[in-house]
Amino acid sequence: MIKNYLKIAWRNFTRNKTFSFINIAGLALGLATCILIMLYVQHELGYDRYNKKADRIARIYFEGNVQGQKMKESTVMAPVAQTVKTDFPEVEQATRIRVNYEKPKIICKGNVFKDDDFACVDANFFDVFTIPFIEGDKTSALTEANSVVLSEATAKKYFGKEEAMGQVITLKDGNVPYKVAGVMKDIPSNSHFHFDMLASMEGVHESKEANWMSSNFYTYIVLKNESDYEKLDAKLPQLVDKYIGPQLKQGLGQTLEEFRKSGSDISFHLQPLTAIHLYSDFQNDLSVPGNVQYVYIFGAIALFMLLIACINFMNLSTAGASKRLKEVGIRKVLGSFKKELSFQFLTESVLIAAVAFVFALAIIYAALPFFNQLTGLSLSLNFSQHPLLLPGLVTVILITGLLAGSYPAFYLSSFKPVQVLKGKFTNNKKSSGIRSSLVVFQFFISITLIVSTIVVYRQLSFIQHKDLGYDKNQVMILSNLWQLGNKQDVFRNQLENDPRVEMVSSSRYLPAGSSDNNNFFITSAQKPGDIIKTLRYEVDEKYIPTLGIKLKEGRNFSPEFKADSSAIIINEAAATALGITNQPIGQIINKNLKSGERVSFTVIGVVKDFHFRSLHEHITPLLMTLTPDKGNLIVKLKTKSPSSLAADLQKRFAAYGAEDPMEFSFLDERYNAVYNTEQKAGLILAVFAGLTIFVACLGLFGLATYTAEQRTKEIGIRKVLGASAVQVTQMLSAQFIKLVIIASLIAFPAAWWAMNKWLQGFAYRINISVWVFVAAGIAALLIALITISFRSIKAAIANPVKSLRTE
Amino acid sequence: MIELKHISKWVMIGGKPNFILKDVNATVNEGEFLSIMGPSGSGKSTLLNVIGMLDEFNEGEYRFFHEEVHRMKEKQRSNLYKQYIGFVFQAYHLIDELTVYENIETPLIYQDVKSSERKAMVADILDRFNIVGKKDLFPTQLSGGQQQLVGIARALIARPKLILADEPTGNLNSKQGEEIMNLFKQLNDEGVTIIQVTHSEKNAGYGKRIIHLLDGRIEREE
Repeated sequence: MIKNYLKIAWRNFTRNKTFSFINIAGLALGLATCILIMLYVQHELGYDRYNKKADRIARIYFEGNVQGQKMKESTVMAPVAQTVKTDFPEVEQATRIRVNYEKPKIICKGNVFKDDDFACVDANFFDVFTIPFIEGDKTSALTEANSVVLSEATAKKYFGKEEAMGQVITLKDGNVPYKVAGVMKDIPSNSHFHFDMLASMEGVHESKEANWMSSNFYTYIVLKNESDYEKLDAKLPQLVDKYIGPQLKQGLGQTLEEFRKSGSDISFHLQPLTAIHLYSDFQNDLSVPGNVQYVYIFGAIALFMLLIACINFMNLSTAGASKRLKEVGIRKVLGSFKKELSFQFLTESVLIAAVAFVFALAIIYAALPFFNQLTGLSLSLNFSQHPLLLPGLVTVILITGLLAGSYPAFYLSSFKPVQVLKGKFTNNKKSSGIRSSLVVFQFFISITLIVSTIVVYRQLSFIQHKDLGYDKNQVMILSNLWQLGNKQDVFRNQLENDPRVEMVSSSRYLPAGSSDNNNFFITSAQKPGDIIKTLRYEVDEKYIPTLGIKLKEGRNFSPEFKADSSAIIINEAAATALGITNQPIGQIINKNLKSGERVSFTVIGVVKDFHFRSLHEHITPLLMTLTPDKGNLIVKLKTKSPSSLAADLQKRFAAYGAEDPMEFSFLDERYNAVYNTEQKAGLILAVFAGLTIFVACLGLFGLATYTAEQRTKEIGIRKVLGASAVQVTQMLSAQFIKLVIIASLIAFPAAWWAMNKWLQGFAYRINISVWVFVAAGIAALLIALITISFRSIKAAIANPVKSLRTE
Repeated sequence: MIELKHISKWVMIGGKPNFILKDVNATVNEGEFLSIMGPSGSGKSTLLNVIGMLDEFNEGEYRFFHEEVHRMKEKQRSNLYKQYIGFVFQAYHLIDELTVYENIETPLIYQDVKSSERKAMVADILDRFNIVGKKDLFPTQLSGGQQQLVGIARALIARPKLILADEPTGNLNSKQGEEIMNLFKQLNDEGVTIIQVTHSEKNAGYGKRIIHLLDGRIEREE
């Protein structure tokens, strides 16, 4: 029986080439995107799952509110690990990671390596995390000081084919030798930490100190039972009273009581290992965290994409039902039950889904490199690596086939044979109503995506062209000048005299990209009780002109004024916060020191607010002091070819004896990098908006074809009666255009709601203007119209005599 | 074999019933060859469909081999006609996507006949109808007479007790028509009960009994 069904399916398939193509192409695209995104979603959701104890591992983090400043840190104090293990019986193990934020220079057999991530871990690290060893013993590898475990790739890089075990590598900083005590498998890409080598914690003195005032250790615990998680989380704040309290007086000059009275508090909490990647918002985590919001969004898009493709299939099958109805009628007369017919049609749709899947695989292989570039991941469709992948995909095909085939199967098999065989049958109202609503749904999704894409791009362009209050163009940042040692001043002087350079400033503080932040608590002379949190930028007198920051009142720092060491320049936000907007110049600002003393500053100028943080955040109070330091050189350029200048500087840098090449970047690039996620999201949205509208139009094309076929006789009669081709085209297009318009009307509020929510994430954002909707609506309408017109025009200009004769 | 009592069927048009069949009483015994005649719209095809259980009626009783068809569910009826009845249509109604062989084989598939058995049965009937050479052709490659031959072969393949033919020669020329009618007569002689609907007096003459319908009623019998 199945053979018979497959045969019929295949013959139908080859007979209606256009519709088969539309079905296959649509489904293949839908499946391909769906599988691609599912790979991504699975990758994101599978973070740290490779650990056998993943469900029982949690990380301890530190959260608090200190002097009005919220803090949340992924690292805790050195003794926390040992303490929780002894104090709480539900903790089975505790282990720590201590990270060097800079990649160390490593000397191995005379070669220098400096691109490898290095961390110190406790000896029981491999009991907690499941990273298999290739050589060495994982329980004893890191028990001795100055032993190190290399990843497989690193071992190969350092020693080639030679045996790595027992060899010695040297950390250049401090000239510390480490003995290789093991080689582990490379840490999986979906791990929240990536290290190329792990050294023993034994050598880290800080790790043995009972210091509760400094937190530098990522600390993980293994619980005895999963269920202990919340109970333990509730108990952790006890640690504050018991251990931090006594040391607080020394560190902060306050007892815990006083500390809490002043509105501050601190506590410890647990974060499940599997939540680290998607739900973290720590300032410095071990890797850039993902965003669960995007996982949801892309998951939804994947589903919609597949749904749209399935809808095409349903619509085309039911619209084309008249072609299959005779067969249904005959089969029923010959004794087929409804069930058997449904089964037959489902077999067909599963078969088509399977064929589509083969094409989808081809698409996936072709698109994966592009997709990986887009997401920054290295996903692959590797059946041998993921044993569950194949059954998973087979399930997807089956579900797709059943989903797409269910309605047609039900619809087609329900006809009464007499009706059908007598040719009384015309496509009934109900089914064309369902078809219409399915088309509306497809365009609803497409138009929503189009609107979203436009809004995202408008916001990105807003970010790009926003007047930031400083000039990010033509600014080069040189960052590792300390390597020049005492030649720094000479270097700077030469730079200032270079005709290609307009001005040079020196400061660690940059308004775009990662920068030092220096919290500074001040009070105004009028209201000494109000402590205001500001950021302090230590700058030189060239900072403001180099960055093109505009002075609103007063003056810039100047070397001519000796007293400028106690002068400050504030931004408008600070003036507002201090309540000195009326007459800011000359106001005295105080800073209370821990010792109880007080330092005073005089406001000499107010700069217009400039965006020193991303546009996600509001501009906060900021003050600048004249405190020259040598962090970065900020170079305003005259030249249009900064790369040749960079090359020249690079040579000079080396000539002055710097060991490493000069590190440099451009301010506008740093600025753009901040919005990397948004740019990627925009690109992905645009791609999917394009794909969904394409697939929806494929379906529309198919439907238009059927309608034209079905109405051939009507069109013939109308033409004989004098209708022009244009009138017929209009008549045929009108019904579909109506659907697109309805879809737009539903999509607009939905898209507005979603995008408004997205925009809330920006403190500075565009308003969604009406034209966005108008543009999206018109675009969808035009695309639909063009799609339909292919068929409508063909039907309209056909010779009526022909169509009437064949009838 | 067939017993119809007070069968009526109507559709509501403008709130009033419009009778298609009105109070039809008839009995058909095994081995009969019955012709139903009447002008267009007299209800002949509807009556045939009612007998074949393809169409429903609004009133009356229908017994088929003493089973009460009017009380059955669709599935039971389907089971019943699958077992006993073969249909032949004016427009042949072959499945265009299947070859001659596959068309004939289809009813057997639905009756769960084993593959090897099916092969033998189809081969038999192809042989008997002299269409072995055509078995791999598709219906569109055949003449009307040949298609109807295939249609009858398909109706006979499951060895039905009753054949219902709705104007089986309506689309054929007179020579082809005659061949088909002779075939029916031969089948009837072999014991198959046949009920046919026809316009043609000549074809009706092949039957042993003729029922004349007019406006949904039985006008006369001969």
